[in-house]
Amino acid sequence: MNRVGLQYLAGDLSGGNARCIAMLQAFQEAIRDYSTPPEKTLTRDLTSKIGGFVSFLIECRPLSMSMGNAIRFLKSRIARLPLTLSESEAKTTLCSDIDRFINEKIVLADKVILRHAAAKIRDGDVLLTYGSSCVVEMILLYAHELGKQFRVVVVDSHPMLEGQKLLRRLVVKGLSCIYTQLNAISYVMHEVTRVFLGASSIFSNGTVYSMVGTASVAMVAHAFRVPVLVCCEAYKFHERVQLDSICFNELGDPDAISKVPGRVDVNFLDNLTDKQKENLELLNLKYDATPSDYISVIVTDYGMIPPTSVPVIVREYRKEYLLI
Amino acid sequence: MGAQKKGATARVSEDPEELARHPLQAILLADSFTTKFRPITLERPKVLLPLVNIPMINYTLAWLESAGVEEVFVFCCAHSKQVIDYLESSEWSSQPNFSVTTIESHNSISAGDALRLIYERNVIHGDFVLISGDTVSNMSLTQALQEHKDRRKKDANAIMTMVVKQSKPSPITQQSRLGTDELFMAINPVTKQLLYYEDKAEYSKGFISLDKTLIADNPSVILHNDKQDCYIDICSQEVLSLFTDNFDYQHLRRHFVKGLLVDDIMGYKIFTHEIHSSYAARIDNFRSYDTISKDIIQRWTYPFVPDVLCGSSAIKVERQGTYRASDVTLSRSAQFGSFTFIGQGTKIGTDTKISHSVIGERCTIGSNVTIEGSYIWNNVTIEDGCQLRNAIVCDGVILKSGAVLQPGVILSFKVVVGQQFVVPAYSKVSLLQQPTQQDSDEELEYADSTSGTGELRSDKLNGDIAPDLSETASELGTGGVGYIWTVFEGAYDEEWRHSVAPIPTDKLVKLMLDKDEDEELLTQDGNVISASRELKTDSDGNGSEDDDNEDSRDDYVSFEKEVEATFLRAVHENVKVDLAVLEVNALRLSYNMASVDCGGAIFYSMMKLAVESPHNSASELHRNAADIVTTWQKLLKSFLHDIDEEIEVILKFEEMCLESAKEFAALFPQILHLLYDKEILQEDAILRWADEKEGADESDKVFLKRSEKFIQWLREAEEEEDDEDE
Repeated sequence: MNRVGLQYLAGDLSGGNARCIAMLQAFQEAIRDYSTPPEKTLTRDLTSKIGGFVSFLIECRPLSMSMGNAIRFLKSRIARLPLTLSESEAKTTLCSDIDRFINEKIVLADKVILRHAAAKIRDGDVLLTYGSSCVVEMILLYAHELGKQFRVVVVDSHPMLEGQKLLRRLVVKGLSCIYTQLNAISYVMHEVTRVFLGASSIFSNGTVYSMVGTASVAMVAHAFRVPVLVCCEAYKFHERVQLDSICFNELGDPDAISKVPGRVDVNFLDNLTDKQKENLELLNLKYDATPSDYISVIVTDYGMIPPTSVPVIVREYRKEYLLI
Repeated sequence: MGAQKKGATARVSEDPEELARHPLQAILLADSFTTKFRPITLERPKVLLPLVNIPMINYTLAWLESAGVEEVFVFCCAHSKQVIDYLESSEWSSQPNFSVTTIESHNSISAGDALRLIYERNVIHGDFVLISGDTVSNMSLTQALQEHKDRRKKDANAIMTMVVKQSKPSPITQQSRLGTDELFMAINPVTKQLLYYEDKAEYSKGFISLDKTLIADNPSVILHNDKQDCYIDICSQEVLSLFTDNFDYQHLRRHFVKGLLVDDIMGYKIFTHEIHSSYAARIDNFRSYDTISKDIIQRWTYPFVPDVLCGSSAIKVERQGTYRASDVTLSRSAQFGSFTFIGQGTKIGTDTKISHSVIGERCTIGSNVTIEGSYIWNNVTIEDGCQLRNAIVCDGVILKSGAVLQPGVILSFKVVVGQQFVVPAYSKVSLLQQPTQQDSDEELEYADSTSGTGELRSDKLNGDIAPDLSETASELGTGGVGYIWTVFEGAYDEEWRHSVAPIPTDKLVKLMLDKDEDEELLTQDGNVISASRELKTDSDGNGSEDDDNEDSRDDYVSFEKEVEATFLRAVHENVKVDLAVLEVNALRLSYNMASVDCGGAIFYSMMKLAVESPHNSASELHRNAADIVTTWQKLLKSFLHDIDEEIEVILKFEEMCLESAKEFAALFPQILHLLYDKEILQEDAILRWADEKEGADESDKVFLKRSEKFIQWLREAEEEEDDEDE
């Protein structure tokens, strides 16, 4: 558990799915090591234990929506354990439940999304993606394997520059790519035929909550009449409604935006006095919210749906995962 | 101001302040003194050949100007008239703060001669930049110059700074992407002093020899094979006088640099300056012509890119890295792919496909033509249905309809290729006949690497050109004009190395196989250099299908190391057995090993741990081993699924006792018994092992004999069991 938390803190683990899987696996381990103290019931005590872990993780880095969903799933499973089960039986059921969640909701869901999205890629397309989303990467590689002829525009932004990682993997596989920064988006959007975006979460009003910059990409694409496809597993859907990106967000390290790595000549913000610093706020937002107007379709494991259908999925899906 | 200063002090004053006030000078050699660009260079000097439609020398001059050089001496030898005429008519003659002076010579046959002549003229007054006219760069000289000057202040013998750049040569062909040979340099990592330079290492031998004093005299030396020489040198005045003193120095690198490195009487030193983000490369052969053209089109050389350099003449960059002049006539159905340049006044017909190519000015291209990766210069006519792949087509060439140029073809000026004629791969075609008489000499000279042919070339220019049309017609199809140059015996095999065409894959495969054989031979000799080890792993990464023993054994060794590390980590960090099993399994998959190998490797690491943990006597060692085996038996067991695998473990153990852990030799039967007790080894496995060993050599049976008693006991136990069963 500590290891996972520290990995979050160091930024070694990033990407919604990777973080979620790591967390669930850590829970699995914790459950295996767990033994109920005398005079307590497993259900109650384990739930409070998990609560402790979660607050530790939150200290390391705020949870994403998808992780919140996963935790809720786990807690509901614990609560619904039949009291008749012995401790070891209960533990094995929980572990297999977690395995099933990872498998069905993440791994298999990604595979289904691949199929759906790849059907939307035609020969001669120019696809734009922003940052580095693992499901978009899988889609691009899958379509490439299918032998479709297309080009990729990878748009990236400071300070994470995650797009470079994606770019490297794509170029190695032999896709022809264009790499550019977010500020050149209006120039490249002319030639783009489709935009593929990943998402951290999707709210029930259809708002896509994703890496900061996604909203601008979607808006520019909308202005250029380019369809925007958001690829997101259904477990990341959330019943919350959010209208702007400020009221709930995560703040990154302010130093990350005041300095440019590898460029010592960019040092205009160094050596400010405390007095001067009082007048300065470094705002390093991690996420932003894209209104549903700018999104053409959401590709999920339940198929391709318009953003207006998200509440339906949330409703049905909730029911379903209580049934698991 | 600068000029006055120069007049006042004819010689360099020792005062560094004075030195600094000299205008920065450069010597540009407008002749490469090689024959690699033949037959094109028979008619036009190399520096005037268009590189993405702009003469090469323009790139060099533009860079020198931007780098703060104020005075350039252009040394012309072959076709000097053409170079001088060009420079006079170009914008370079009328720049305010940048003077270009030409120095003409007709009898220089090498860079050495050129520098001697410049020394005689007495025009260089301080540090200068030495560069050849075919270098493309965008680096900033400020830092390199400063380093050079600082070093000079401390040590007057530091007379030259060479610019180098990271560039990994291909492990298969042992040449860089510029088509030059793999270069070995030994550099002192602290002072950056160059200690060794070898660009013609003999691969066949597979090793290079360093002078042992080199290691003895320097606290640390790094031997690089991944650096590229940019042929940009910052030199002090002494360099010129050195050339005069040593009148046999011809080649800048092979004679001058190596001469200085070997000569310890004068104690002159050469230093290196490595550039990281900026670009510098020299066009040495057709391969580098191709590579650098692509780099320019992809704008790595910014700001020296066609649309900036051309300035007013309106070349626009469009999407996907295409460059198009303003008045190109492009048919609606023509496909104009990425990274393509089309010059002014060019007409392109219907359904023509062009990609990754450069097309010069005023060309006429018919319909249904395919052009891929080719360089087409000015005023070329290509009729309908032609196909060009990776070719260079010079000015005024005419390709009649249906002609095909296979990869690597060079068509020199004004050649005509007849209808439907297929020009075979790697052929060089010229209106001039191949110089026959000097050939043998020249090849020798080339091997000696002086290879100066300036005189020869100017003779040719003077005009014993006699294109006998009737005779040549047959060589290039009906209506064709030109001679196909024959390739020298033996040289044909090397033709692909420096060609514009990418290296064919079958060649690569063949080379790779050859290399493996070589390496096997080397291993047998026990002579493998460490560098080749690294190269080896790279070539595996390239997806080779070579899966010979050598390879898999190496893989096994590294796999074993990994397993050992994993196991030790598991022991020290108390990792769960399940997790350890998982980790080892992952390793097994990534190294593509069988579970037999895993069992062996784990057992090996367990025993090694036992040996390494402190012990005084054999019994203590036995106890150590027993402890470890008890704790980790589950891990080991999970990789031993059948008897064969268990036998493998026994064999492994035997090998260990003989080689790495002799201390176990005495304990062999005890450990065997232990493994049996812990149910790691079944009795069947042990008995089968014993049976197998029965027939082996006497020397192999040492351990069998030692454990005879135990085996005897096993056999009896088995019989008893059998009896009971009955």
